Amino acid sequence: MASYLLKRILWMVPLLVGISLISFFIMHLAPGDITTSEASFNPKASEESRQKLRALYNLDKPVIVQYGLWVKRLAKLDFGTSFASHQRPVFWQTTDKDGNVTLGMIQEALPITLLINVLSLLLIIGIALPLGVISALKQNQWPDRGITLFVFLGFAIPGFWLALMLMYWTGVQHSWLPISGLESMGHENLTWPAQIWDTLQHLVLPVFISAITGLAGISLFVRNGMLDVLHQDYITTARAKGLNENKIIYGHALRNALLPLITIFGLSIPGLIGGSVIAESIFAIPGMGKLFYDAVLMRDFPVIMGILTIGAILTMLGNLLADISYAWADPRVRRGVM
Amino acid sequence: MKLVWQNPLTLIGFIIITSILLLAAIAPLIAPYDPNAINVKAILLAPSQLHLMGTDGLGRDVFSRMLYGARISLMVGFVAVGIATLIGIVLGAIAGFYRGWVDTLIMRTVDVMLSIPTFFLILAVIAFLSPSIWNIMIVIGLTSWMGVTRLVRAEFLSLRNREFVLAAQALGAKDFRLIFGHLLPNSLTPIIVSSILGIASAVLVESGLSFLGLGVQAPQASWGNILTDGKEYIQFAWWLSLFPGLAILLTVLGYNLLGDGLRDAYNPRSNQH
Repeated sequence: MASYLLKRILWMVPLLVGISLISFFIMHLAPGDITTSEASFNPKASEESRQKLRALYNLDKPVIVQYGLWVKRLAKLDFGTSFASHQRPVFWQTTDKDGNVTLGMIQEALPITLLINVLSLLLIIGIALPLGVISALKQNQWPDRGITLFVFLGFAIPGFWLALMLMYWTGVQHSWLPISGLESMGHENLTWPAQIWDTLQHLVLPVFISAITGLAGISLFVRNGMLDVLHQDYITTARAKGLNENKIIYGHALRNALLPLITIFGLSIPGLIGGSVIAESIFAIPGMGKLFYDAVLMRDFPVIMGILTIGAILTMLGNLLADISYAWADPRVRRGVM
Repeated sequence: MKLVWQNPLTLIGFIIITSILLLAAIAPLIAPYDPNAINVKAILLAPSQLHLMGTDGLGRDVFSRMLYGARISLMVGFVAVGIATLIGIVLGAIAGFYRGWVDTLIMRTVDVMLSIPTFFLILAVIAFLSPSIWNIMIVIGLTSWMGVTRLVRAEFLSLRNREFVLAAQALGAKDFRLIFGHLLPNSLTPIIVSSILGIASAVLVESGLSFLGLGVQAPQASWGNILTDGKEYIQFAWWLSLFPGLAILLTVLGYNLLGDGLRDAYNPRSNQH
């Protein structure tokens, strides 16, 4: 197990090199750079000053040299500073000589996106598990058909459209829920339980929107997994020896049906991070997706590269974690039988 | 084929998709107005007999724009998935047929691509390359070939040592003939199913991009950008947001129903359910 883990972790290095190479070259093959977008704000910027800016950001050097410089800084966990927003550090906070701390952009945005995704994952597990089990147990009866309909609709509904409709209905028409940002005006003056309550209200819609596709997918997955397992010989055996039906379903069948779910969660991380763009820009939430969207529009290369790299690292860590949990949960893998 | 239509859901999917294809094909014949004609006397009219789905902020007829938008959405789906499937077949066939280091190289590239949040990559490339419909189709295609590659490779690995393939090889068939004459035709069903499901997600991605303002550009109509316009007027013109959303929902639903139905019909294992 230890040597397997070591191999997996070492394997992440070439993978990361591949990811950063692909992202870097795609980024730099496209025409235009930060000076193009800066110049559009300041049409008076002369070609000379744009050249100066390019030299400052090393944009005048060949792509391969720029990549080398980027990797060199990354080796010290330095993701560089943002072009667009006044030299803010991309990843982590820096302290200048006067002791002023500047927070990193990803440092601020990542916890928000993670919070939304963790909450939506909890929502998915809380709703999709029971739905999937009910669907499998009532196969081809009306609860199953209803849940299947929900699954198909969940897959097909465009998240941004649903977000828009819910915003209009719960926010504009009825003002039940706040529809933008994470904090109301005057949030700082509230007591801390009121602050948490305020933020939770802001989180309802974004979390629900992020969860909807996963909700459909996991329900279907649990249903099919349960159906597969319920047809296995060991379930027949358990029934034959007269085991209580509840014990069969929750003790034997569900546990085995849930195993592959661990891998699915690991694999869904890039989708969750990618999906955050739409939800976050609709609800004006300052997370990774919003940060990325703004960086893309400004051609802020260090921020774009930083987010893609951090996203890839999270994905790989997620997959690794999924494999470890799988080995922990499945004794056959743990003891090296399979 | 009879088996396929036994499932009413598959039939519904088929009907939805063919109707939308048909409407898109005859759009110029049935569209009551020019989709891009601005009419300042008819701004933000509610749906009526004159304008079935109302008009937008520039007085353009939403029904006509929806019809022309269907062409865009369908075309993006087909071309993007066509590109992805082509890449997937070639790479998957090479990996599964030759194995060895080529296989390792291709499959590791797949791993790398799967670790990048694809929507981020698409967003970045589109924003840099100026959002045109061709760029969108190419970029979606270039970032969604990994599933097909894995699928084709797995099919090839399982078919490679079957008797009929070995027999053809013993009779002196060249690699090219083995791949395209024997292995590929026998792997077609899962490829078709995954393509149909792929179209569904490409339609969603395109509408998402258009919604963010990085998709099909005005004045050309697409369901995504009609919806973006609708966002501005959501308080007084519900029809601008409702219809494009429903159209996207229906299209994606249709493709998913059709794809799932085909898979169930050809996959004896899932038939038990």
